[in-house]
Amino acid sequence: MGRTSKTEAVVLRSFRLGEADRVLHVYTADRGRVGAVAKGIRRTKSRFGARLEPLSHVELMLHHGSGELQTVTGASLICSHHEAREDPYRLAVGLVGAEAMLRLYTEQESNERAFTALTRFLDRLDAIPSRAPARPALDPLALSFQLKLLWLSGYLPHLDTCVECGAVEGLVGYLPSAGGAVCHACGPGRVSLSAEGLRGIRVLLSTPLADAHDGGLTDLGGRDALAVVTASYEYSGGFRLRTLSA
Amino acid sequence: MLSPSVDNLVAQLSRLPGIGQRTAQRLAFHILSTGKEEALALAGAIGEVKERVRFCRECGNLTEEELCTICLDGRRDRTVVCVVEQPVDAISLERTHEYRGLYHVLGGSLSPLDGIEPEHLRIGELIRRVGEGGIEEVVLATNPNMTGEATAAYIADRLRHSNGGDRVRVTRLASGLPVGGDLEYADEVTLGRALAGRREL
Repeated sequence: MGRTSKTEAVVLRSFRLGEADRVLHVYTADRGRVGAVAKGIRRTKSRFGARLEPLSHVELMLHHGSGELQTVTGASLICSHHEAREDPYRLAVGLVGAEAMLRLYTEQESNERAFTALTRFLDRLDAIPSRAPARPALDPLALSFQLKLLWLSGYLPHLDTCVECGAVEGLVGYLPSAGGAVCHACGPGRVSLSAEGLRGIRVLLSTPLADAHDGGLTDLGGRDALAVVTASYEYSGGFRLRTLSA
Repeated sequence: MLSPSVDNLVAQLSRLPGIGQRTAQRLAFHILSTGKEEALALAGAIGEVKERVRFCRECGNLTEEELCTICLDGRRDRTVVCVVEQPVDAISLERTHEYRGLYHVLGGSLSPLDGIEPEHLRIGELIRRVGEGGIEEVVLATNPNMTGEATAAYIADRLRHSNGGDRVRVTRLASGLPVGGDLEYADEVTLGRALAGRREL
């Protein structure tokens, strides 16, 4: 016997199923990651229309049957984020965030703070300027969001003191296996860290997503932050984001 | 449950898109109930199609020769190329009888989350085709979804910066309301697009 429930959700990705359906991977406010089938969505006269495109923030009616996947029986838009989807640079930044969510949150488990962070990230994404031809992976908003997700997942890099000896000064590298920065004497660490990188990461972590672009992140700082995020994914989660290599 | 050969037929049929276990069983029993000639004709047609059909050297559409019938047709407008994701999209456009130009089949759409990058599609071939000259307009007819739009934007950008790209007009299929539908059922994004692309009467 199935049951139907209403939930707020963000569509992270979708792929084709059968003749006209799509499987959606959505992150919901009250149940975390959920897989659902949107039947007939690829038909031009589908009642879902463009409401369930990736990055859309929606309210869904989900039917829980006996199978693993739920069925979308209704959808209304909270915010389409089509401005972000229609600009290649902002879309690439959005997909980095979506893939980070997909890889870090694989279970059907509620995490209200992660959901709030995701919706704030998407809201901000609509407003940021396109920085093409810069690498979307180095965008301060993408880096800030990923660092905050690492924090919410319990993988936050410890960057205040050397994780080996406790030294406050002279931090030169990041050691993923120890979960933090190392000093010159204990280093060099797997990822080298510049002073700009350390400062950039601290600013990105301590300021709201809305202010990520105002933190004065330099190119070198951005590259260091990306290296720390990537190393954390590889060591703590055993994965790499495809969208970060673009 | 049934004989191993029938089980195998059901298993093979159920691998087809849109065919579930029950439909596969129904099709298998239909094949069993038809004459041997009819069943072998179906098997032969599948074998023949796999043996003879390949991709057109010029546009990537399906063909049995080096070039497809559209590329060989001298009556087609060779100054316009319509870019589609799959051969089936070219068939849909042909059904309109509104388009008389050539096609370019990409073989999919860009999808960074699935690892589909530009080098996996026939984008390089399109740029080369445009660079050879003679093409005045490229119509981007990729699907109106996230990956299709991203692919169209990427191709438009590549064409702008390619050899001969400044001579080519790049257009995108219009988005809007499906003919025959009611306005009240249109979703916000589609209706917004229709409003943005409104035309003067």
